[in-house]
Amino acid sequence: MRTLFVNTRYLIVPLMSILTILGLVTGGIYVWAGVALFVLSAIIDTATKNIHLRADFDKDGNSYGIKMFQYGVMYLMLIVFITLQIAVAWRIYQYVNATPSEMLSVFGLTVQSGITGANLIGAIVSAGLWAGLGIIYGHELSHNKKEGFFVSRLIMSLSGASHFTYAHVYQHHLHLGHEKDPATAPRGRNVYMHTWLSHAGQSKFSFDLEKSRLEKKGKSFFSLDNKWILGYLYSLPSIVLFVWAGGIVGVAALLSLWLIANFELEALNFMGHYGLIREDGKPVEHRHSWDNDSVFTDWFFIAIGRQADHHVRGETYFWELDDVKGPNYGIGYFSLFLITLVPPLFKKYVRKHLDNWDEKYANQKEREIASQYGY
Amino acid sequence: MSPSLLKLKLKTGDNLLASALGQGIKWPHLCRVGSCGTCRCKLIKGKISPEIDFENILDQEQLKDGYILACKSSVRTDLMVEVNLQNVKPE
Repeated sequence: MRTLFVNTRYLIVPLMSILTILGLVTGGIYVWAGVALFVLSAIIDTATKNIHLRADFDKDGNSYGIKMFQYGVMYLMLIVFITLQIAVAWRIYQYVNATPSEMLSVFGLTVQSGITGANLIGAIVSAGLWAGLGIIYGHELSHNKKEGFFVSRLIMSLSGASHFTYAHVYQHHLHLGHEKDPATAPRGRNVYMHTWLSHAGQSKFSFDLEKSRLEKKGKSFFSLDNKWILGYLYSLPSIVLFVWAGGIVGVAALLSLWLIANFELEALNFMGHYGLIREDGKPVEHRHSWDNDSVFTDWFFIAIGRQADHHVRGETYFWELDDVKGPNYGIGYFSLFLITLVPPLFKKYVRKHLDNWDEKYANQKEREIASQYGY
Repeated sequence: MSPSLLKLKLKTGDNLLASALGQGIKWPHLCRVGSCGTCRCKLIKGKISPEIDFENILDQEQLKDGYILACKSSVRTDLMVEVNLQNVKPE
């Protein structure tokens, strides 16, 4: 029973993503289902922010997590995210071609064909919000399995961010808490600025990594062996799909979807390490990440909020990550995300947490570096 | 484990570095995701499954000589590896 519970509790995003797709297919007001589910998740997360649970192990210290099941779900999410894009592209096609509004029955499901401009916005925002959650699978799959790394690249390419997989493993984990890591937001930066700087910085890293690797092998940069180029080519089917579906409207829709998805990705990076400092080359310790492990956040984001443990034991599967008493905001990701959206509010909110970090977690050198920054 | 012939209990699917650390061996390491190369060791005998492409960290010569990254090696058979346990400082 415990095994069943531990393994199924991480299915919130898969189930809600499928409901979002059903909403897009059903049409009418239901295309807003993704937005409604996101808001519902934010409410549940905020209401349960004070509940924190530990990872589950049996009396012998073995995890209840079933690796084959969890990886199976993560691989299947690639198909779910592709279906999500097809569903929204189909709605764009209907909008551009002014498909008349009528009720149809498809496989027993009543579907409203045609879509209004307002509902098209709802469809794009719904799809963007849930496509952005591909990061939680793209992240987990970037570690621990060679074929998982490839699936991670494909999932991230659906959001035009396939560079993430390389940059996350080879840059973020190595340079965490240092200015060499674009995914670590220094004190004073807001989430909007961070989104652009982190995205561009990670892409540049992936570019440089491939340039150097190919040079060593005596190969041209412009080659299909170039994983930076290849990663962006993986996004080509999405571009073709949206251009076919709606021309300029399709391109605008895809850019909006990617913008939302990448904003979510970078907001998670922002929340995970904002303002924390590590001397270059010193070991990564629990204090170099913000934990965010309230119950709903933990299950919804497949424990990506257990950053402190993850960055010290990078080989550990998400269902085995635990509370290691690292710095913790004490609230869920949804609540924190809403605060980050208003930079002056976030600045005020984070001040006491940074003061606490400087006083209780930082070493002398880290405090000296911190003193050069504001909040 | 060569050259000092320390022994580790391992089973198929175990992560080499995590097992060594769990059994009290001070194996040099830093990132534990295969990005720094600190945990590299030479595989003398046996088989592992790489959990990540070693090519981005180890050069062709090291790969040819049998070097692996312990943090991203899943154990397949009994192993004999050579690791410099003095190499505890990050590079």
